[in-house]
Amino acid sequence: MISNSINRKIITLLKVQYSNMLEYRVEIALWAISGIIPFFMLNIWTNNNLNESINISNIMLSRYFLCAFFVRQFSVVWVVFSFEEDSLMGKVSPYLIQPLNPFFRYFAQHIAEQITRFPFAIIIAFFFFIFNPESIWIPNLGILFLSIISTFLSFLIQFLIQSIVACLCFWTEKASSIERLLFIPTLFLSGLLAPVASFPEYVKSWIYFTPFPYLIDFPANLLSGNTTSVFGGFSMQILWIFLLFPVFRKIWSAGTKKYTAMGS
Amino acid sequence: MNPRKYLKVYTKFLHTSLASELEYKTNILIDLITAILSLIGSIFLLSIFFQSNGSIGGWKFEEALIIQGIYTILNGITNTWFNPNLTEIVKHIREGTLDFVLLKPIDSQFFISLKKINPSGFLEIMLGFCLLFFCIRINQINLNLSFMTLFFITIICSICILYSLWFFISTTTIWFVKTWNAIEVLRSFLYIGRFPLNSFSFSLRIFFSVFIPIAFITTIPSEVFLGLSQLWKILLEIIVAAVFLTTSRKFWLFALKFYSSASS
Amino acid sequence: MVQNIIDVRNLSKSFDISSKEPGLKGTIKHFFKRQTKSLKVIKDISFKIKEGEIVGFLGANGAGKTTILKMLCGLIYPSEGSILVSGYLPFRRKENFLKNITLIMGQKQQLIWDLPPIESFYLNASIYDLDKLEAKRRIKNLSEMLEIDEELFIPVRKLSLGQRMKSELLAALIHKPNILFLDEPTLGLDINAQRNLRKFLQKYNKETNATICLTSHYMKDITSLCKRVICVHEGSISYDGKLDLLLKKLSPVKEILIVCRSEEDAIKLENSGFTIKNKIKNEITIKIENNSITSSLKTILNNFDIEDLYINEPPIDEIIGRVLINKDYDI
Repeated sequence: MISNSINRKIITLLKVQYSNMLEYRVEIALWAISGIIPFFMLNIWTNNNLNESINISNIMLSRYFLCAFFVRQFSVVWVVFSFEEDSLMGKVSPYLIQPLNPFFRYFAQHIAEQITRFPFAIIIAFFFFIFNPESIWIPNLGILFLSIISTFLSFLIQFLIQSIVACLCFWTEKASSIERLLFIPTLFLSGLLAPVASFPEYVKSWIYFTPFPYLIDFPANLLSGNTTSVFGGFSMQILWIFLLFPVFRKIWSAGTKKYTAMGS
Repeated sequence: MNPRKYLKVYTKFLHTSLASELEYKTNILIDLITAILSLIGSIFLLSIFFQSNGSIGGWKFEEALIIQGIYTILNGITNTWFNPNLTEIVKHIREGTLDFVLLKPIDSQFFISLKKINPSGFLEIMLGFCLLFFCIRINQINLNLSFMTLFFITIICSICILYSLWFFISTTTIWFVKTWNAIEVLRSFLYIGRFPLNSFSFSLRIFFSVFIPIAFITTIPSEVFLGLSQLWKILLEIIVAAVFLTTSRKFWLFALKFYSSASS
Repeated sequence: MVQNIIDVRNLSKSFDISSKEPGLKGTIKHFFKRQTKSLKVIKDISFKIKEGEIVGFLGANGAGKTTILKMLCGLIYPSEGSILVSGYLPFRRKENFLKNITLIMGQKQQLIWDLPPIESFYLNASIYDLDKLEAKRRIKNLSEMLEIDEELFIPVRKLSLGQRMKSELLAALIHKPNILFLDEPTLGLDINAQRNLRKFLQKYNKETNATICLTSHYMKDITSLCKRVICVHEGSISYDGKLDLLLKKLSPVKEILIVCRSEEDAIKLENSGFTIKNKIKNEITIKIENNSITSSLKTILNNFDIEDLYINEPPIDEIIGRVLINKDYDI
């Protein structure tokens, strides 16, 4: 019963947020464009024949970066910034008295934004294939399904991490600087700029124990057909979600307690 | 126009914005760590590119570090001056307080582009200079006066171009209040300024010299640094910088005209 | 001779409003050929304001008060007509003109949020070319008038709205402007803070002979400060003159409640030719024309045994408010 009512709430929220997001088509298009860094990286890799050293063919590498672009497009999270703005504008108090965790609202916002973003991502991929016709491929349905799941799990991990950071807004006024700090390892270690396979051994030895490679590298490898351990990737993603979720629950209840105690 | 007054006002700007930033000391600390990690990440990425190749686009690793250093300095300048002031302009327009600025007996562009300062960007500038000094040693560069002046001129031009790009986007806030995504696009394009222009394919090289002059921003000063630059390139950069500055000024005045005939 | 410090002649302002048909087709059409409609928000107004006057602009929301005020201080270009403010064309925003005026908008703040107001004052002082000594003197002087003291050293974000407004005023007045433009200055303030603000403006006007133009929704602001009001209705001036006169014209009668000592007297009074509003036992409410009020009262006091007497001022706010909303009233 409870899950049913939550489902209904989520669907309503999604509808509202989707029509809201449609209003911001231009912004979302711009945002989609801002995600093209992987293509610049690909350009460096192929233009200097760097791929030979890591035993990945040109075609596989371009597929990898295209997939990295896609995974990034559908796992971008900006909860911290929304939450910080809302708390500065005093919108959090009304959210707190509603019988729904405000993070559901942000969650719906993100999903709605991903749906609006989809056509723009497809257009960018289309242009990519015009310039690189040799890299066209069609992943089989099973792989496609698995990679959508793993992209969603990557989104969930990032959403949880950022929500935890966002809750720090209850203690400090500007939590977004912590997010900018966390973004640095995400940027360099997730595989967005270079596939983890190309990392030197001294990094590879420990990086698979951190959540970073499972954010971009694992789903992108899966989708592009590069070698990766499907079982290991999924279990690590799920493990991280199970680790992060209780942390979020704890910090959220502590934060709201502090917030109501201050009475602001 | 009275330079002494402007100098006096600027020292006041420095004083007030440093004092307000110091209200958030932890923030500054986090930003400092972010800057350091970001530089480490960039060098890490560069080392991946060079791990099996001796040179990329004709640049050796030691030489590519110069570009990295100049990029870090420019990024520090962006974070110290351009980014916080853009945030401020968006706030002015959203809250309708631009009117106060326009009624001050002082140039509005001066006021709006220099009011705020973010001290945590200073460290990035310093890190960039340290890297440059390191590069001077490992590349065995002879410091002489003509080299210093040329380097100084080109870096000033780069700052002017970068400022104009940011100020263009700031100005568009008068029409569209939400410009964050446009900034994200600019930032992602600027990202390629970390790498030598020659490492990209011909079409991208053209794009980044004609449409968005990122090529001018880091590559030309670095070439000057290595004593490789031709005179025509330096002259071209000076012309581009002059054109960008005057256009940004014209655009601002045009936007103000629009603002004062359309706002209510 | 007192000079006209503000001289507005045949001023009009129209805004271009672009209209777009809905749907993709409309968007494309709109992109290539903008269809703009010109909306005239200020229609051919003229008025003069003398130095030292306090003038209130009255009008419903969207009547054009703020647009007029913004044109007077040079933030909006006029479409037609001329404006001269202390000899300058405002929209050129010449430095000397800007040093002469100030704009205060309720709920919009220019103070630096994280710092004590004093920092913002010194920043403004340097922008307005005041030297440090002069700035110090002005701050001392104004803070005494505004009755703020230690608040100057507390970060703005920790001040109450009333304290913040006082600091805003100080920041806006540090350069000794001759002309003050106030747009809804009391918005959001509590009654006490509103009263203090009005008291301050009155005092400031008396001491410096500064000209004050203000718009407000609170009638009390207007009635207690302004001798002269300009009513703006749909972009035109519907009344320009003394506030008393406006009130007299709008409410020509006063209501007087008379408590008679005996019910017989009350009956006698009821039948003596006054307009009676109502009567409850020995209490009678009568309506008397404003111009005959003293003579009528004299007659009543002389002829009847009166226990008590109340003159009910008609609620000014309500009357003006009603007039502002009402389209076709004559004054």
